[in-house]
Amino acid sequence: MGPLEGIRILDLSQGIAAPYATKLLSDHGADVVKVEHPGRGDVSRRMGPFPDDVPHRDRSGMFLELNTSKRSITLDLKTATGRDIIGRLAQQADLVIESFRPGVVERLGLGPDRLEELNPRAALVSVSNFGQYGPYRDFEVDDMLAYAMGGVLSITAEWGREPLKIATYAPFFLAGGVVAAFTLGALRGSQTSGAGERADISLHDILATSMDRGGTNLAAYEYSGSLFFQRQESARTTALPMGVYPAVDGYVHVICAPMWWDRFCNMIGRPDLIEDEHLLPNLLNVDFAPEIDAVFYPWLLERSKQEIMEAGQAQGLPVSAINTTADVANDPHLAARGFFEDVEMPGGGTVALPGFPFRMHGTPGEIRPAPALGEHTVEVLTERLGYSKQDVVVLAQRGVV
Amino acid sequence: MTNDESRQLPLDGVRVLSQAIVWAGPFGSMILADLGAEVIEIESIRHMSPTRGSYRQMPPELMDGPTGAIYLNRDGSEGFWDRNSGFNFAKRGHQSVTVDLGSDDGRELFYGLIRDADLFIENNAADVVDNLGISWETLSAINPRLIMVRFPGFGISGPYEHFKGFGATMESVVGHTMLRGYRDSDPSQTPAIYHGDPNAGAHVATAVQIALIARERTGEGQLIEMSQAEAVVHHTAYDLIDYQMNGRSNAHWGNRHPSMAPYGVFRCAGDDRWLALAVPSDEAFARLCEVMGQPELATDERFADAAARYGHQDDLEPIVEAWTLQHGDDELMHRLQAAGVPAAVVAHQTEMFDDPHLLERGFFIEVDHPEAGVRRHPAPMARFERMPLTPVRGPAPTLGQHNEDVLMGILGVSRERFEELERDQVIGTVYTEDADR
Repeated sequence: MGPLEGIRILDLSQGIAAPYATKLLSDHGADVVKVEHPGRGDVSRRMGPFPDDVPHRDRSGMFLELNTSKRSITLDLKTATGRDIIGRLAQQADLVIESFRPGVVERLGLGPDRLEELNPRAALVSVSNFGQYGPYRDFEVDDMLAYAMGGVLSITAEWGREPLKIATYAPFFLAGGVVAAFTLGALRGSQTSGAGERADISLHDILATSMDRGGTNLAAYEYSGSLFFQRQESARTTALPMGVYPAVDGYVHVICAPMWWDRFCNMIGRPDLIEDEHLLPNLLNVDFAPEIDAVFYPWLLERSKQEIMEAGQAQGLPVSAINTTADVANDPHLAARGFFEDVEMPGGGTVALPGFPFRMHGTPGEIRPAPALGEHTVEVLTERLGYSKQDVVVLAQRGVV
Repeated sequence: MTNDESRQLPLDGVRVLSQAIVWAGPFGSMILADLGAEVIEIESIRHMSPTRGSYRQMPPELMDGPTGAIYLNRDGSEGFWDRNSGFNFAKRGHQSVTVDLGSDDGRELFYGLIRDADLFIENNAADVVDNLGISWETLSAINPRLIMVRFPGFGISGPYEHFKGFGATMESVVGHTMLRGYRDSDPSQTPAIYHGDPNAGAHVATAVQIALIARERTGEGQLIEMSQAEAVVHHTAYDLIDYQMNGRSNAHWGNRHPSMAPYGVFRCAGDDRWLALAVPSDEAFARLCEVMGQPELATDERFADAAARYGHQDDLEPIVEAWTLQHGDDELMHRLQAAGVPAAVVAHQTEMFDDPHLLERGFFIEVDHPEAGVRRHPAPMARFERMPLTPVRGPAPTLGQHNEDVLMGILGVSRERFEELERDQVIGTVYTEDADR
C-alpha cells in the first residue's frame, strides 16, 4: 500500500493546508482516519466545484482532491461519548493533527496535557492561521488574507495597479506542503525520543517565510535596506524579445538573453539575422525593439502557442505557452508522464485528479478515492475499538456518529 | 544565537549531500537542516553556485539595481558570494565543501562522500547529473542505501523533460499564469511570481522523510523524482476540476473568489495601502455593513444573500472601496476583525520586522555570520516543544569553509593530499578567476 504503511494518523484537520499535508501521507500508505462532524463534515465538502453544478457533500471537487486515500468517520465531539472515542483513537495513533481554532482542542479534551496522559509517545501537530499564541491568534482569514498579511501580496502587482492574488486556494496548498515536511519531522522526533512532540504551525509564518519572495526578500532588506523583489515597470528595457506575446490561439511567454540571440534567430527561421550588421550591435538598445518585433510578430501570428513553445525550446530558448486550464487538462507532457489519476467519486463517475507531486521510484504510493462522509465509521470503530455493529447503531441513534 | 551540538533534533544523524540551488532547492535543504539533518553543500570553486551569485565579477550597474539588494550593503567586491542574503538565510546550519565534479579527483572525493550519505538532493538541469558522472545508477551502485532526489522543472521523462524554464515558464505551462490575471487585461499585465520554487522545496523535504521511513523497512534507498511543474498543478485544482465537471476553462479571476462576495483588495487612505477582505456569510456581510455605518446595505435586494451579492459585485465593490478609502488599512483590519469579519492589511515587507505578532512569535532569529555579521532571518517554520528547532545549528557556511572537516574528518584525506588538492584547484575557498556559472 505504500512506504508509510502501518503509521496511524488521527486527522482532526479540515480545509486545505493540513488536509493537503495528510493527503501526501495517506497517498503513501499511512492510515489516516479523518474525523468529521456528523452532517456537516469538512468545510471543503462545501467548496465545490460540483459535477453539473449540483452541490453534494460527497462530490465536492476540493474535498475529492484533498482527501484521497483517507478514511472518514463522523463523531460529535461535543458529546462525552464522542470525546471518549476520540481519546481511545488517540491512544492508538502515532500522530494527531488538528486545525481547530486555538483553544478548541483543549476544550474537546484532546489538548497537549490530556494527550500526554493518553499517549505520551504521540506527536500532536496543531495547524492554525496565526499559531497558538500572538496578538493575531484569533483573527479570521482565508488563503488570500493570510498571503496578504504575509507580505507577499503587496509586491504581486503590476506597476500602478492593485495587488493581484494568485490562484484560489494556492497559498494554502503551498503551506500544506510545508506542514507535511514539519509533521514528518515531529513524527520522527517523537519516535526517536519516545517522548512525543507538540508542534505549533502557523500558516502565516509559513507564507511570510516562503522563498522566493517572502524570506529571501526579508533577508535582502536586512542586508541592504531594500527589497530584491519589487513591483516592476514591465516596460521592455532592451530590443530583445521579453515577456508576453500573442499566438494565433492565445499567448506565449518569451525570455531571450543577449547570449541567446542566435537561438532566437534560428527559432524564427532567420539565421541570416544572427550576424546582421544593423541589429547585432543594437540588441541592448530598446529603440530597436520595433524592428525585431516587425519580424517576430508575423512569425508568431502564423503559429499556435504550443508550436511556438516547441520551436523555441528546440533551440534552447525558454519559451512557454501560457496555457489555459483546458490546455493543461490535455497537455501532451502531463499525459505522457501519466500525471493525472482517474479516481472514482462517491455516487458514480470518476474525476481525473492531479497525481503524485513527487514520484518514489522504489516504494510508490497509491491514490485511492476520497471517502464519503462517515464511510468508515463502522469499520474503524469495530476494527480499532472493538465495538460491535449494533453498538455503532446505538451511537448513531444517539447522534454521536 | 546558535546552539550547542548536544541538543537532540528530529533528523539527527541524517547526512545530506546537497546541490539544491537557486530558490527551489535551498527552501528544501533549509527545512532539512532546520530539522537537524547534517547538510553538506557540494560546491565548486570553478563554477559559481547560482545561489551565491551570477557573475564572477559583479557588474557595478547591477549592484545599483534589484540584484544589488541581495548583498550586504550592496557591496559587490571580492567575496560577495559569502555575503549573499538569500544564501545566508536558507543555507543556515549547512556545511560547505568544494569538490570540482568536473575533475576526476573531485568526482572521486564526491563518490567517497556518497558512501556514507543518506540523501543526495539536486535540482540541476535534467542532463547535468549524467554529464558529471553522478547519475542515480552510478551513485546507487556505490551506496545502495542512498536516497537521491532529482527535481528539475518538468521531471525526468516526457516531451518537456529538457525544456528550459524559469519561474514564469513553469507557471505558464501549468496554467497558473492564465488564472491569476487582472480581469480587464491580457496576460502581459500579470506580475511574475515564483510560487513553484518554495513549493518544490517543501515537497522535497517531505519526500525524503517518507523515503527514510521506507528505508527502515526495506533497507534500501531509492530515486525520488519531482517535477516542479506538476507539484504546482495541485494549486490550480479548483479550476482543473471545474473544467472536468462543468466544462468551464476559467481565466483571469482577478481578485475574485468562486463564491464569496465582496472579496478582494480595496484601496485605503494613504500611499499604496490596501485592505484584503473576504466575506464568507450573510451574517459577516451584515456585520461589515454595521462597521461601514451603512446597515441598509445588508437588506438591499442586490446584496441580501450570497448569490445576490455574487451577481452584483460590480455594484458592491465601489461602495466598499468608497468607504475603505477614508480609513487606514490597520485601523480597518482591527475594527473588522473585532466585529468578526475576515479582513487583513496587505502588509509591506519593509514593515514586518516591527510586526507585533511576528515579534511575539519569535518569527525573526538572529544569526551571526562570519562575513555578514549578526543578521535577522525568518526562523524555522514550526515551533516544536520537545525538540525546539531554534536556535538554528549555525550560520550559513562560507565557500569551502568545511573542506578540512569534511575531507580530512569524514573521508580521512591526509594533510599532504589535502594541500595537493588545493594546489590543483580541486578544492579551495575562493572562486578561480575564470569560474563560470
